[in-house]
Amino acid sequence: MSQGLDIDHLAKLARLNLTADEKKLYTQQLSQVLTYFEALAKADLPPTADVAMVVDESALRSDEPGKPLGAEAVTKIAPASHDGQISVPRVVDDES
Amino acid sequence: MSNAEWEVVIGLEVHVQLHTRAKVFASAPWGFGQEPNEQVDPVVLGLPGTLPVVNREAVEKAILFGLVVGAEIPAQCAWDRKNYFYPDNPKNYQLTQKDFPVTMGGKVEIELPGASRNVQGEHKFIRLHHAHLEEDVGKLSHSGSGSLVDYNRAGVPLLEIVSEPDLRSAAEAAAFLNALVMMLTQAGVADCDMEKGQLRCDANVSIRRRGETKLGTRSETKNLNSISGVRDCIIYETARQVRELEAGRAIVQETRGWNAENGRGYVLRDKEDAHDYRYFPDPDIPTLKISRETVQRLQKQVPESPYARQQRYIEKLNVPYTAASVLIAQSDLAQWFEVAVAAHPSNAAGIANLVVNDLLRELSASSGAAEGADIAKVSLASCRIQPAHLAALVKLTDEGTISKQQAKEVFTEMFQSGQSPVQIVESKGLKQNSDTGELEKIIQEVIADPSVAKSIAEYRAGNEKAINALKGPIMKRTQGKANPVLIDQLLRKALG
Repeated sequence: MSQGLDIDHLAKLARLNLTADEKKLYTQQLSQVLTYFEALAKADLPPTADVAMVVDESALRSDEPGKPLGAEAVTKIAPASHDGQISVPRVVDDES
Repeated sequence: MSNAEWEVVIGLEVHVQLHTRAKVFASAPWGFGQEPNEQVDPVVLGLPGTLPVVNREAVEKAILFGLVVGAEIPAQCAWDRKNYFYPDNPKNYQLTQKDFPVTMGGKVEIELPGASRNVQGEHKFIRLHHAHLEEDVGKLSHSGSGSLVDYNRAGVPLLEIVSEPDLRSAAEAAAFLNALVMMLTQAGVADCDMEKGQLRCDANVSIRRRGETKLGTRSETKNLNSISGVRDCIIYETARQVRELEAGRAIVQETRGWNAENGRGYVLRDKEDAHDYRYFPDPDIPTLKISRETVQRLQKQVPESPYARQQRYIEKLNVPYTAASVLIAQSDLAQWFEVAVAAHPSNAAGIANLVVNDLLRELSASSGAAEGADIAKVSLASCRIQPAHLAALVKLTDEGTISKQQAKEVFTEMFQSGQSPVQIVESKGLKQNSDTGELEKIIQEVIADPSVAKSIAEYRAGNEKAINALKGPIMKRTQGKANPVLIDQLLRKALG
């Protein structure tokens, strides 16, 4: 698995521009992480081991509306905004 | 195309915004028509240090839906992250339920259109695969070189209802959505206002040769936002696939969009790298145990199903199908009708006709709705007539106190003033004339008139219907106040 690591694909997904040196470094580091997980996967555990945390309904929130941030605060933390909306580079999902 | 040869197989994924005040994992409020980004908080944006907590009301509404459709409510449900990079989602993942949804299975009863509006069509059950509780995403608008994002819709509780591929025509798909909307609104689970985007649908369509049991390759058309859109899109997509296969080409599994304006589908350009969502259990939201007490409590809130109600109206109350089908579309209308029937149980059909024909027409006209608008969606909020008063009006007519013609006049007055029919009849002196002596005199005068001699002769010769020609002039001379039953009796006596 660690052999098939595609650093270019991962960098693209993470929107990172990596230099050749960085690519080499991160490929190596990520491979180590994956090797570690491969070791975990090999551990002999009972197949039913359920480690998920389970809560009951007391952990739910009531349907009480709280105070929103307001459009001004929301757009302030965005890289760019226009008329209360967040501006992003054009994404295409319409008819092509 | 030759539809006799091809069978269309359809499965729908219906996304419904649940009726809650706050969002599903955050306390930010939501509602239609707000300024952009005014309903957003740090949890919606997924800012560092925030923790989503599930809204109880959203979970209970989802369970209630499950109970309405007879689904299984598993003992546990859990949320997963669906990872994708697209600006409609501030967190780069959508919280959804992949492996442990809140409801499993269930079925929806549908009614197909009959041969005419007055004829009840065939009923079928459409199986559901499951329904899962997730969050809605933000809204994008595109302008020139950029796109704008409004996150008000992000985090709104969304129930995705997934059907089995049991639907076999565009009409069945439309009937399924109609039934679903009735069930969701009547149980208070969702408002399903499609103009506000509260119900959206993805249609999976494939075709196969009749008799073939294997499913064909399907296409998925995304984001259909009206029932007519779903119907049109399925008709279009079926024809397209038939054309492809008959031309010897293969159907490509693809995601498609629908342009409602020109009535054409189109291939959606795939979101970059969107095919791998890398689902994993959300570490912020623990698996939720659903107690059987909660399920039992919610079970009590399940209303009578729309088609069970329709059958009861037809069979037990003798209401005509056409009226029953209108009454069941809105639970408050059905309840209004039932209160009226309780006040005058012997003529539910008469009450139903008055509600469906006169009351809805007047309400629609007074609300300024366009002619031909969906009359079943008219609101009763502005109705000044009490159900018991409408029942009293039918009773007055049934007992012969007022004529049918007078009843129309009283109804109009009731609609405007909200007064009881008894008050109106008295204040306007509308009571039918049941004075035998005066009526007998009028009858004698009318039958003495040579112009009706022919009708009298015909009646005496055994033509029962000929007597009706005499009733008009009598009614006219009493200014419509005579009791028609009494006229009939006295007239027969007078003619011997």
